[in-house]
Amino acid sequence: MLLVPCPNCGPRNSADLRYGGESHARPDPATATPQQWRGYLYLRDNPAGWLWETWYCRSGCRRWFTLERNTATNEFRNPPIPGDKRGGKA
Amino acid sequence: MTGIGRRLRRRPPKYSAAALAWRGMRGDYWPRIWRDTELKSSYDAVVIGGGVHGLATAYYLARNHGITNVAVVDKAYLGSGASGRNTAIVRANYLTPEGVAFYDRSLQLYNSMALDLNINVMMSERGHLTLAHNDSSLRTMNWRAEVNKLQGVNSCVIGPDEIKKIAPALDTSSHPRYPILGALYHPPGGVVRHDAVVWGYARAADYMGVEMHQKTEVLDILCEGGDGPDGKGPGGKVVGVRTNRGDISTPVVVNCTAGWAGLISAMAGVRLPITTHPLQAAVTEPVKVFLPTVVVSGSLHVYISQTDRGELVFGAAVDAVATYSIRGSLEFTEELAGHVLELMPGISRMRLLRQWSGLCDMTPDYSPVMGFTPVDGFLVDVGWGTYGFKAAPVSGEQMAEAVATGRTPKLIAPFALSRFDSGELVGEKGAASVGH
Amino acid sequence: MTMSRLAAQPTEVLDRSTKLRFRWNGKRFDGFEGDTIASALAAAGEHVFSRSMKYHRPRGILTADYWDPNLLVQVGDDPNVRAGHRRLEAGMDVRAQNVWPSLHRDIKAANSLVARFLTAGFYYKTFMRPAWLWPTYERVLATFAPGGKIDLDTPHRYHDKRYMHPDVVVAGAGPAGIEAALAAAAAGARVLLVEHEHAVGGHLRYSSSDSDQAVLAELRAALDASDVEVLTNSTVTGRYEDNWLGIVQRNHPIAVERLIKARAKVLVAAPGLIERPYVFSGNDRPGVITSGAARRLINLWGVKPGERAVVFTANSDGDAAAADLARAGVEIAAVIDGRDHRRVSSAQGSSKALQAVVAGGNRIEADLLVVAAGWTAPTSLLNMAGDRPVHDPAAARFFPSDPPGNVLATGGLAGDGTLDELRAHGAATGRLAAQRAAAVAHRLQAMTARARPVDGDEPAWAPDERTPLGRDPHPELYRSDTHGMVDFSEDVGSKDLVAAAHEGYDSVELAKRYTTSTMGPSQGKLETVNTVAAIAEARGETIAQVGTTVWRPPYAPLTLGALAGRVFEPVRVSSIHPWHEANGVSTIIAGQWMRPDHYGDPAAEVRNVRTNVGLIDVTPLGKLDLRGPDIPKLLNLLYTNKWSKLPVGKVRYGMMCSEDGVVLDDGVTGRLGSEHYLMTTTSSGAGGVWEWVENWLQTERPDWKVHVTPVTTAYVSINVAGPKARELVSRVTEGVDLSPESFPYMEVRLATVAGVAGCFMWRIGFTGELSFEIHAPSGHGLHVWEALMDAGQDLGVGPFGLEGQRIMRLEKGHFIVGQDTDGLTLGPSTGLNPLIKLDKDDFAGLPELAWAADRSLPMIVAIQPDDPNVVPDEAGQIVRGDTNEILGRITSARMSPTLGRSICLGQVEPELAAGGTKVTVLLTSGERVSATVMDHHAHFDPAGERLRG
Ligand SMILES: Cc1cc2nc3c(=O)[nH]c(=O)nc-3n(C[C@H](O)[C@H](O)[C@H](O)COP(=O)(O)OP(=O)(O)OC[C@H]3O[C@@H](n4cnc5c(N)ncnc54)[C@H](O)[C@@H]3O)c2cc1C
Ligand SMILES: [Zn+2]
Repeated sequence: MLLVPCPNCGPRNSADLRYGGESHARPDPATATPQQWRGYLYLRDNPAGWLWETWYCRSGCRRWFTLERNTATNEFRNPPIPGDKRGGKA
Repeated sequence: MTGIGRRLRRRPPKYSAAALAWRGMRGDYWPRIWRDTELKSSYDAVVIGGGVHGLATAYYLARNHGITNVAVVDKAYLGSGASGRNTAIVRANYLTPEGVAFYDRSLQLYNSMALDLNINVMMSERGHLTLAHNDSSLRTMNWRAEVNKLQGVNSCVIGPDEIKKIAPALDTSSHPRYPILGALYHPPGGVVRHDAVVWGYARAADYMGVEMHQKTEVLDILCEGGDGPDGKGPGGKVVGVRTNRGDISTPVVVNCTAGWAGLISAMAGVRLPITTHPLQAAVTEPVKVFLPTVVVSGSLHVYISQTDRGELVFGAAVDAVATYSIRGSLEFTEELAGHVLELMPGISRMRLLRQWSGLCDMTPDYSPVMGFTPVDGFLVDVGWGTYGFKAAPVSGEQMAEAVATGRTPKLIAPFALSRFDSGELVGEKGAASVGH
Repeated sequence: MTMSRLAAQPTEVLDRSTKLRFRWNGKRFDGFEGDTIASALAAAGEHVFSRSMKYHRPRGILTADYWDPNLLVQVGDDPNVRAGHRRLEAGMDVRAQNVWPSLHRDIKAANSLVARFLTAGFYYKTFMRPAWLWPTYERVLATFAPGGKIDLDTPHRYHDKRYMHPDVVVAGAGPAGIEAALAAAAAGARVLLVEHEHAVGGHLRYSSSDSDQAVLAELRAALDASDVEVLTNSTVTGRYEDNWLGIVQRNHPIAVERLIKARAKVLVAAPGLIERPYVFSGNDRPGVITSGAARRLINLWGVKPGERAVVFTANSDGDAAAADLARAGVEIAAVIDGRDHRRVSSAQGSSKALQAVVAGGNRIEADLLVVAAGWTAPTSLLNMAGDRPVHDPAAARFFPSDPPGNVLATGGLAGDGTLDELRAHGAATGRLAAQRAAAVAHRLQAMTARARPVDGDEPAWAPDERTPLGRDPHPELYRSDTHGMVDFSEDVGSKDLVAAAHEGYDSVELAKRYTTSTMGPSQGKLETVNTVAAIAEARGETIAQVGTTVWRPPYAPLTLGALAGRVFEPVRVSSIHPWHEANGVSTIIAGQWMRPDHYGDPAAEVRNVRTNVGLIDVTPLGKLDLRGPDIPKLLNLLYTNKWSKLPVGKVRYGMMCSEDGVVLDDGVTGRLGSEHYLMTTTSSGAGGVWEWVENWLQTERPDWKVHVTPVTTAYVSINVAGPKARELVSRVTEGVDLSPESFPYMEVRLATVAGVAGCFMWRIGFTGELSFEIHAPSGHGLHVWEALMDAGQDLGVGPFGLEGQRIMRLEKGHFIVGQDTDGLTLGPSTGLNPLIKLDKDDFAGLPELAWAADRSLPMIVAIQPDDPNVVPDEAGQIVRGDTNEILGRITSARMSPTLGRSICLGQVEPELAAGGTKVTVLLTSGERVSATVMDHHAHFDPAGERLRG
């Protein structure tokens, strides 16, 4: 059971959180082309390595945040960013 | 086409009881199941991934289209991916007409596989029960049964009494937290020996000239003319692959790497609607056979079958967290055991012997991504998620046709990558969340 | 071979004053307290315990411990019990497994006659023709399944789980492990010491040396005096992410087996070594045992393992066994020293007993062959931590390579040495573990305090300054000059492995899969190294080149009961539930809730609502309390319609779509105050919508001021519906004018109901009748319900359940998200186009909904079968005429008590969506009936006059 560092609660068992998947920025709905919008909906980088992703501290503080995790080793690095879902993406 | 890979002997030494006896008597070894050959510098097609999909594709390229100058490359051993780790359930009772037609063809190919490949893949048509624990899943079962019947697939909804007759170990009383209200019963569903399918395809393809290259890792895909860096990306075309054993030139690359599909596609500059999640499974110690069918419960995220060796094989839904690490978790076994005992309270003294996991390439609509991509010569047969074992024969057959003819065969048209541009997803989403 | 009981041994674990009577294959036997099942039987002269899987060869004791592949027995309803480990209890009913008709006369033993054809994997090569016979073959093969029998009436007995947060967990209580535990505890760590065997001490327990026994006594005393928590007969079954450990405790006083979950800061792996069998002809014959087995039998249980022994030894343990045997009065016919390149070649005799040993060309009469050929390092826990152990041919075993900093190895796993050296290494490991545990604690603390781990914030591991243990040279003894058994449980011989390698299954993984070697109940503990060695030999490679298989959890099997624990799956019920139960309710499970489905006759319930008044408990309805100035903006963003101008006291219906335009949820939201709203969601959507709302607020619009509190279970929700609803509600309500003028349809009031203040009441309902939905504080729910029931006796009030409500909502044509919609149903398909305001700047799913507006989509429509008595099945397909082409499906269908005819909702292709279109519905019976698409969704009261009343 992975220990996930919540920015508020500190390390928590991953079962206490909801995994929100790869972080991504929402295109501007006013200008997005179908391709951009569907890229946002469906396409993923899915790398084997460092990845920013979103988590929700379901059984704790109920904050959404992003975190950088290595998908090959399950290590974390960098401070989690509360209230974020972009993970540095524009 | 070069002649080097071609075999003088066109048929492999036949497997049969008589041959077994003959060799047993003489103490002869059987010849190698596939050759150990040098990696050449050029092939007509390179299939990446030595799982059931890659091997089936190579087999049908050779058998149906005479394209034999083909290399199947795998970074580990054949079957080392999900193909050697799955729970080997096959069935055709899908929800959408396109899904049913596709998987039904696969089941037909499985039924004749032992004779086609001359290896006993132990296709065990033992029936498949998908349990419904509430009225909404019962409704979905009915929906599936109706669609199945219209497509000529044997599938119907049955009640608790009949379920009890088929699988007496199930608790069909009304006590449980998840009472068994009914089930979708699919008599042609069952299990197949997954390793034998891998070996059977490899052996048959090998004898037609296809080469198997294990411990051959693809590091890059060489492209020209594309929009992206290094000529990769839409508009470009494939010219070769770079491996840990050297470069290979080839005009056609088929990506059959399941859990690793996104990494390989990225090498060609193609983004996929895929995330990689582990799927875990476990077996118990053997006991005398008591469970004659495959049992699946979507609400409880569990499916169960018993091998001829007496072990219960369990599987579940994919792990929520995307990762390429396949070490497995304790909570998986805890939840699994809880859910299994909910269905079969009598087996609490059975012991869990081994757990493992494999990688699954999950798509948003629980359907694969097959066929051509915006990069010429780069084809995908991916997005197989938790259900790709049963689809291997038909996928190989159809992908081979796509490669050979340059056109998308009708059966796989609904699964094109382009559906994610147009937003026309396949409707398996509702039914397939634990759809083994 | 004849085993027998010796006089009392100084080291024995028996209480000879307590006799235990039990049964073995129906016959009575006696043993002593402290015996294992196997030792008691051996002492009584039994020497065949099982039959092998494939050839049904008789099998006797091999290792006399947990891992003994030949000692799996059935005890009562408990299959596959390790007789080499399980303590004898009075009254046990022990049976041999997988034999027929009996252990001594087993029919399938005939298989060994055709052994040469039943080579590994033979089944892949045969039984293919004729194809129709395969199911029969399969049934026959299945009768070979080894293992015990399951009794399906076995109750799920009491199982409990325990959580622990120790600083250091030590797996294995041999001398090194004990020292590690003691040293870590002395350094201030909280330590858990877990021992697989019934007592601590490891190999010292069965050593007859006085000095070893003195050390053991000293260690035991030190443990007793320490704060170390010791668990015996318990196993660390797995090491998972971040040192999350599974531990199974088999000797809990109450629980049959208990699963302990521990988040250890540091894990010390000290499992010792497992003695490896040697491969030669006849090595699976009863009478061939490991040196450990000999010493355990003699020293722990006072069992004399034979009369005349040959000892094959390549190490000091073998030498010690020879000494023990001599001391126990066993005649030593020969000692063959493996260190001098001498080998045993075969064990000969009858099928059930050893008669002679052939070594160096000499035939030596003996009834016992004791083998000490080397060790397997059980590196499982290290593997699970990502370590890839390396093989050292000079020491003939694997050693750890580079485990992570929070996993340390000591004892035999780490190397060899004198007892003092092993103890010193253990103690140093314990100190290091305590230091590292403190570093982990510090890091966790920092993460909590600073609310974030910082780059490079990896624990600063205390450097490993332990003096490494040496490695004793050991001859590489895997296979002799003959072939023999490699995997005893699977009946896989070295010949099979060589043949597999020749056939191209030449990596360990392939060979393992093909031959099934290492796949049986001991999971490679005894077999892995010999398997790898056989392949290496066939390929002319070294063991290191061939590599090893990955050990997978669990380390030792554990019961499903222990893993499942109490099977704790709670259901939710509302506080009115006792009333429902007292009034003949029939319940239905809906998601996490148990809900009233009906109270006997749903149609009558419907009629009562349509003519009088009914009450339904709709507590599971999702409820979110919203506070703050920016709520209208939030609602505009989440719902497809507009919310900026909703006045206080009004409620409005809204539909939510996901970003892909698919219908996500629906419900009404009411404005209770200027900055206070109550949002309702579908029952099943309650949790998901809450997270969805939080996600938008926290990540997309963090500057908006809205506070969300889920109040689903804080309120009981009661819908009062029917023409007499106002009359009924007015009898129990204070402070609100209920007249239609001052409290019209789609409005909300705060009221005191049945004396309960703080109830919200709004005029909406799913039934299409005049309705008041009352949300009362949960604790008073039952009271409010009963007050309404009492007050309405003369009005004909009665309860109605989910089924009645479903009928009535269908009469009104209201769709249910998830039933009438599916995972691809886009907003416009619901027919609620006027509620999709594409002129808003932004809302969830806007672009997709805008594009969808130009597409022709499948539509949700009301449908009536032309024959009013035919109720199609929900899921019945709508097809084109006589063809099998699918054009839609029925999503809801009921007989309407109000209209006296069948009514449906369905999804159809756009070409069929216009009112008046005739469609063909395929019933499950196969019959095709004709039906008509209606103009409105509502089958009943399309103008909605009744609910406005
Ligand atoms: C536990 C589990 C249970 C399952 N149960 C079922 C079931 O009951 N029924 C069912 O139908 N399906 C099931 N599945 C799914 C099914 O196993 C897979 O969908 C299917 O095996 C995919 O086959 P494949 O050939 O596409 O991929 P894989 O078998 O995964 O093969 C991909 C191969 O690509 C290779 N590769 C990756 N990267 C590279 C590279 N860079 N260079 C070279 N080679 C590379 C890998 O080594 C691997 O061998 C299950 C899956 C799992 C994990
Ligand atoms: Zn938190």
